[in-house]
Amino acid sequence: MKHTFKMLVGAFALTLMTGEVLAANWSPPGPIKMLIAFRAGGGADTQARLIAEALENKMGWKFIPEQVTGKGGVNMLNALSKQPNDGTAIGMAVTESLGYNLATSKSRLKASDFTGLSTTAGFQLGIIGRTKDGWKTMRDVIAAAKAGKKIRLGTMSPRLADLTYLMEKANGVKFNIVSYRGGIAVLNAINAGDVDVGYVAGPQAKGVKAGDLVELASALSKPLNATPTAPKLSDLGVDFNADGQFVFVGPGGMPAAAQDALGKAIAGIVTDPNQKVAKIIKRVFGGSVTITGKKLDAHLQQGYDDAGKLAKAVSQ
Amino acid sequence: MGVGDYILQGILAFFLGSELFSVFGIPVSINIAMVLAGFLIGIMVGATPGLAGPVAMAISLPLLLSSFGYHASALLPVLGFLIGIMKGATVGGAVPAILFNTPGTPDAYMTTLDGFPMAQNGQAKKALRIAHFSSASGDTFSDLVLFVCAPFLAIIIEAHLDLPEKTALLILSLSFIAAVIGGSPAKGLISTGLGLLAVFIGTGEDFYPRLSLGTDQLARGFPITTAVLGVLILGAIFEGIENLIREKRETGSFSAVPESSDQVLHWADIRRLMPYISRSALIGTAIGALPGIGSTLAATLGYTVGKSRHQKRKSPDDLDFGTGAPQGIAATEAANSSVSGANLIPVLSLGIPGNAAAVFLILAAESIGGFVPGPAVFKFTTDTVNPELVIAFGLFTAMAFANVLNWTIGGLFMRSMGVMIRIPKHMLLPSVLLLTLTAIYIQETRLEAIWFALGFGVLGYAMRKLEISPLPFVIAFILGDKLELSARRAFSASGNDPFFLFSTPIATILMLLAIGVLVYTARKRRLEASA
Amino acid sequence: MIGGPDGIRTLETSNIGASPVDNRSNSNAILGGLCVLAAALVAFVWVPLDVDSGVVEQVRRRVQIGDSLAPVTAAVFIAIGGLVLLLVERRVPDQPAFTLRNLRFIALSAAIVVAGFLIMRFTGPLTVDVVNLLTGGELQYRLLRDSSPWKFIGYFIGGIFVVAGLMAQAEGGITRKNLGIATAVVIALILIFDVPFDDLLLPPNGDV
Repeated sequence: MKHTFKMLVGAFALTLMTGEVLAANWSPPGPIKMLIAFRAGGGADTQARLIAEALENKMGWKFIPEQVTGKGGVNMLNALSKQPNDGTAIGMAVTESLGYNLATSKSRLKASDFTGLSTTAGFQLGIIGRTKDGWKTMRDVIAAAKAGKKIRLGTMSPRLADLTYLMEKANGVKFNIVSYRGGIAVLNAINAGDVDVGYVAGPQAKGVKAGDLVELASALSKPLNATPTAPKLSDLGVDFNADGQFVFVGPGGMPAAAQDALGKAIAGIVTDPNQKVAKIIKRVFGGSVTITGKKLDAHLQQGYDDAGKLAKAVSQ
Repeated sequence: MGVGDYILQGILAFFLGSELFSVFGIPVSINIAMVLAGFLIGIMVGATPGLAGPVAMAISLPLLLSSFGYHASALLPVLGFLIGIMKGATVGGAVPAILFNTPGTPDAYMTTLDGFPMAQNGQAKKALRIAHFSSASGDTFSDLVLFVCAPFLAIIIEAHLDLPEKTALLILSLSFIAAVIGGSPAKGLISTGLGLLAVFIGTGEDFYPRLSLGTDQLARGFPITTAVLGVLILGAIFEGIENLIREKRETGSFSAVPESSDQVLHWADIRRLMPYISRSALIGTAIGALPGIGSTLAATLGYTVGKSRHQKRKSPDDLDFGTGAPQGIAATEAANSSVSGANLIPVLSLGIPGNAAAVFLILAAESIGGFVPGPAVFKFTTDTVNPELVIAFGLFTAMAFANVLNWTIGGLFMRSMGVMIRIPKHMLLPSVLLLTLTAIYIQETRLEAIWFALGFGVLGYAMRKLEISPLPFVIAFILGDKLELSARRAFSASGNDPFFLFSTPIATILMLLAIGVLVYTARKRRLEASA
Repeated sequence: MIGGPDGIRTLETSNIGASPVDNRSNSNAILGGLCVLAAALVAFVWVPLDVDSGVVEQVRRRVQIGDSLAPVTAAVFIAIGGLVLLLVERRVPDQPAFTLRNLRFIALSAAIVVAGFLIMRFTGPLTVDVVNLLTGGELQYRLLRDSSPWKFIGYFIGGIFVVAGLMAQAEGGITRKNLGIATAVVIALILIFDVPFDDLLLPPNGDV
């Protein structure tokens, strides 16, 4: 009886919303390998592992997390592209990896060679400085540079270096750009006095709250949560921004059912306020951002196409 | 938070870590259990001819990572366990040296000179007691020096060294290690260069992974475990198997020697030994604080200094060094044991490993994340908590606790380890080889890692045959990435000054020292050759 | 006593200083020459052909250190080392030699390990194929790599091959006792690495 009822409901739902039922019915044919493009122990890696753990508990799927770091996520994407696309292999990176990094690398791969599953969170990406230096916003830093002070600016990706270069050009200044691997490294360099200011994407929250650090500018298209008054890059004469999210993708051509089920499952975890990982995302990254399925595919493609424009602007 | 608060927090972090079980309502932290387990395993491993601390550290690392995860809360139990192994192996190494005249490690060789004769004279237990007492004294002293010096050194470094100086310091460390390890600066340089070359494959800032020959296998570079374990451990296993083939004979005769009645370590003995122990502890600590020199030289120096003092001061009825003098054991064991604590001074304050054990501690910290050994650790922030500093003091607590274990149960446990000699090496070595490769695979989960490790193992074997020390290779492999990054940063931070390494007086001095130490050792070697 | 000066001879016990030594050897000169040659090849052939950016490069109107500088530095280390061997240490006494016997030994040892791991890699999938053939099923090893008993097949057979093979090499022949010990060792390793740890995969299951 129950069984028949279920089937009826199923058939009914199928006519209404094909995707939903496909998602509900899909389960991975074997253990899922989760490639993580971030160094072990950092905030992003913790996020990925916690999501895997939560999915194991909630869905009963089995995950095998593995680190594939390097080349701004391109190494991971390379490895992922060789995995089967039946949903037994997924990878976590940032949208920048599939956009700018893939576009400017000499890789044969394109954003369309991957299946978007779900984003999890955006960044609070800004230019950070020490309170004791007395700068209130990036405009003060630019003024100091104009006055002849040598300013060291820490970046953590080629795209940010490009954006900085455009900012220099727009304002007629020059910084000594020093590149680091990851926002924590930039933050440490700021604290140690190795650089004066630098891009950090979340870990600055504690220091900003304590008053040691100041957010001088937002590198995003919108203001930063903690310092809404900080100018955006567009206010500083840069037509591009560093918007981006953490994103889960699979190899290209993944069946719609798998794409849908995996994407919804991941989004379900990071939007569930009872999950530990959702709390961390809220604290460090300002809340979850979940773009899934075909919408995400389009979003990633957009990022890939925009990268070309930025590269062109820089080469001019 | 003040300094005292940090120390207190570190101690609490160690003792109040996640609860394992409770005794009479008092919770016992997992950290305590891990240090204890590591310490006992370390003694067993040290007492087993053919095994040593680094092997045990290497194999247990993936298991520890899997059990404790990749989060800052894993740091104290994992590093505590490794520190336990390090200290245990230090004590355990004397057992086969004294009982069976087979030094478990090269630095225990000097222990055999007086330890085995003492055992032959029927004083085996007393010899073991002396070895343990001296070893524990040296170790404790060295740890105390570490606790006091590392924070100060780190603060000085952080306050006075800018990016160019940090680069110059890395270069100085590499050239120092190349010059002093293994006795031939030329071979040290080759070993360093090979290590650098290996770590630069597949890495870099370009999107094309350099030197990868267009292959995907090399594009991700060599995983650090494959290089370190391959060269250090697989290479040693291959050499060990070859030696077995050559020897093809059983070691050691276990003819029972009647025990003499006096097996107790008396206060009078301790008073007599103390001058030797304290001298050797100082020598060992000083040597340990310099990266790369290691415990064999410390043992040799300690023994030599002890011997010359003994010859001047001994009473006529005292035994000479080399014929069963307790002072000989004391001088050796105090010296080689006091290396391990001081060896963590460059690790914690500079992030530069000085010996194989330190390499594995850095490896563990890097794998887990959240704790980057280096000067930033000792930043005494007052308004916010610096979690790395709490971990550092937690580690100091773990070391102090391991010392307590050493003094209380270490001797007893050590004296029961004579049985480990009976494990035949021709069975042990192949098993350890599979164990190591399995541990590597479990961390890397791809078969290429096995082929890489095997390749590095063959390289390590060849280097041993040519008497090229593999340690500069390993240290260069670990520091290579740091060196390149720091050079790039110093270069761009200085506004593209091509002479950034000579842009400040400190950087210039460090660079001149780096060149000087190589020239000096090479000249010395030449004089020896012509002598 | 942890690890000696360099943690290397840690596994060697009773034969300190026993490596073959030939006082009239010119092995330092040969080694030095080879190092200089290798360093030149790295710096002048491999690096230029296989690295994208030069020693320095121009990015965003700035001069930056390129990817070639580091490997060239490594080559310089090797070259200086080789030169010092050639010029300064050529005549030092006690030069070690790498003999043909060494070469034979290490080649055989490496071959045993390679063969063992190839067996490890392919035994599991082959077994699945055979089972499929017998039962007409459509099992895939990749999907079974985390399920007993499939996941143990390759490691078990290949592991025994490696351990027993190396023991046989050391003793000059296979004995039943060594096979038994190898089996026991492999079972012990499975018990250590797999049974208590849910998320660890024994070789070759991580990348089949």
